[in-house]
Amino acid sequence: MRYFAMFLLTIREAVLRGTLLFYFVVGNCIILFFAFALGLSPDDPSMITFFGNPLTPRNLGNINPIEFILIQVQRSSSSSILLFGVFAVAGLIPSMLEKGTVEVYLSKPLSRGALLLARSFGASAGVALNLLYFAIGVWLVFGLKLGVWNGNFLLSFVAVCASFLLFFSIVAIAGVITKSAGFSIMLAFLYTFFSSALESREMFLFKIWGNETYHSALDVLYYITPQLSSMLENSSRIIGNLPIGPNANQPFDPLPFVYSLLSASALYALSIRYFSKQDY
Amino acid sequence: MRKLNTFTAVLMPIVETASIFKTYRSGVFKRVTVPALVDVSLSVDSGEIFGLLGPNGAGKTTFIKILLSIVHPTTGGATILGETLGSLKIKEKIGYLPENHRYPQFLTGYQTLHFFGGLSGLTGSALRDRALSLLDLVGLSEWKKVKIKRYSKGMLQRLGLAQALLNDPEILFLDEPTDGVDPVGRKEIRDLLKDLRKQGKTIFLNSHLLSEVEAISDRVAILNKGKVLKVGTVSEITSRALEYELRLDKTVSESLKSLILPHTTSLMVEGTSLIVGVKDQEALNTIIDRVRSEGIHLAGLQERKSTLEESFIELIQAKDQA
Repeated sequence: MRYFAMFLLTIREAVLRGTLLFYFVVGNCIILFFAFALGLSPDDPSMITFFGNPLTPRNLGNINPIEFILIQVQRSSSSSILLFGVFAVAGLIPSMLEKGTVEVYLSKPLSRGALLLARSFGASAGVALNLLYFAIGVWLVFGLKLGVWNGNFLLSFVAVCASFLLFFSIVAIAGVITKSAGFSIMLAFLYTFFSSALESREMFLFKIWGNETYHSALDVLYYITPQLSSMLENSSRIIGNLPIGPNANQPFDPLPFVYSLLSASALYALSIRYFSKQDY
Repeated sequence: MRKLNTFTAVLMPIVETASIFKTYRSGVFKRVTVPALVDVSLSVDSGEIFGLLGPNGAGKTTFIKILLSIVHPTTGGATILGETLGSLKIKEKIGYLPENHRYPQFLTGYQTLHFFGGLSGLTGSALRDRALSLLDLVGLSEWKKVKIKRYSKGMLQRLGLAQALLNDPEILFLDEPTDGVDPVGRKEIRDLLKDLRKQGKTIFLNSHLLSEVEAISDRVAILNKGKVLKVGTVSEITSRALEYELRLDKTVSESLKSLILPHTTSLMVEGTSLIVGVKDQEALNTIIDRVRSEGIHLAGLQERKSTLEESFIELIQAKDQA
């Protein structure tokens, strides 16, 4: 219960952040937009309409147009939650370590490690609540208006939430070491680019650096750090495969989640060790 | 085990520190070392109010933080309630009010206590009742539903005190508890601390308001530059080495001065008063005999004591000069 109190407070602190409130408002607007825009044709109930016009997307191969829309919604919302979420909660670890605050927490019968984890999980849960609210809203609209109850759509958002928690290990260690919200946010954003570059290293970085040693070093970096970009890519594949793009028609691969779980665990362990050794 | 003058019961040490050293490192390569505590060994008994005094940077807060395992000692150790430092069991029995504490601004006074009570392990109706009774105790009942960002410094300090008392601690560590509190509020806090002492709580008081420490502390330790200069009861620290004021019914003549001078270690005349330092009680009696032999009557006799502030400044200055 002790750690749950910290977990709950952090969720509350996270959802009250202006950036997540903005995301919440925008999310509601999108849900309402779909609620008004989507419908079934009265003449042909198998025909989906968009503001009354038949929806006939082209060049989708064998993919269902509804699945296509759901994948696009999932991809754009998970990318944006990353942006808003990091901005909203990256400061929560440094704020816990501020002078006058950390002393009170450390005087309570709580282990430093569990305190840090409760804070990190609470921050991730705050973001997850916002994202899942949006996902359930969209899922309900598609189910009620079109009769499409796509469980994989919800599952893909659970995977995005898990990805955020694993990615947050980077923010946590940066926050514990630097105690700076600004630096943590900056590092988190840099890491998203870094992760994306590492994922597509064979297409870009390997071509820039021909040296095999560099290639091996980049491979090692890819596997020892949370594979954010790969996790997000694979989470959308839970819904279905897009026939377009560089990774078209690739099946869902759970390995990035497994590797990221291992590297995030190591990063959280390092953060706890550092936090436990520090004087405040 | 030790007996205090004001207590008849035998007191047990509740906090014992053994040769604590703490050195901070700073600079780019952590090459600059700053000693914060040097060989600090103290023993604090159950049920006493123990004052920690010292100028800024003396190491008072570092010492308290080491006892709370917020700061790790470089060498040395301590036991609190028989447990070694770092044990979570200790923290179930202590309360702490840090200096310049900050609580989540979006919480109300009640929510703040509810949250910290949860961190202390309280749950359900016990937590709710404890939070409400403490708000009442510190005079914030009417403000319980107001967000603490609207609280004044004094109100935050009262809330901090309530936070420290949530788990009904056996030992209370208070760092500048009356900082920002008005005189009436300060007196209320002093009275509360005295009540807590009556309940058998041990209180560590760290304050720069010497008069406050003097008013309520059973014993004090004076720290300077990380070292303990003196530990004792307030009267032990404030009493000078056998110095007395003799109030006479006539002015002091030169002949009387020359008569008593050989029996004194110091001599000062202020109007009809003689302020004499003596080696022992026998020397004092001899001086009184000499005064009477000159046909002068003694109107009063009083042992001279310094205020805690005077003793504190003397000690610090003497140490700095040494």
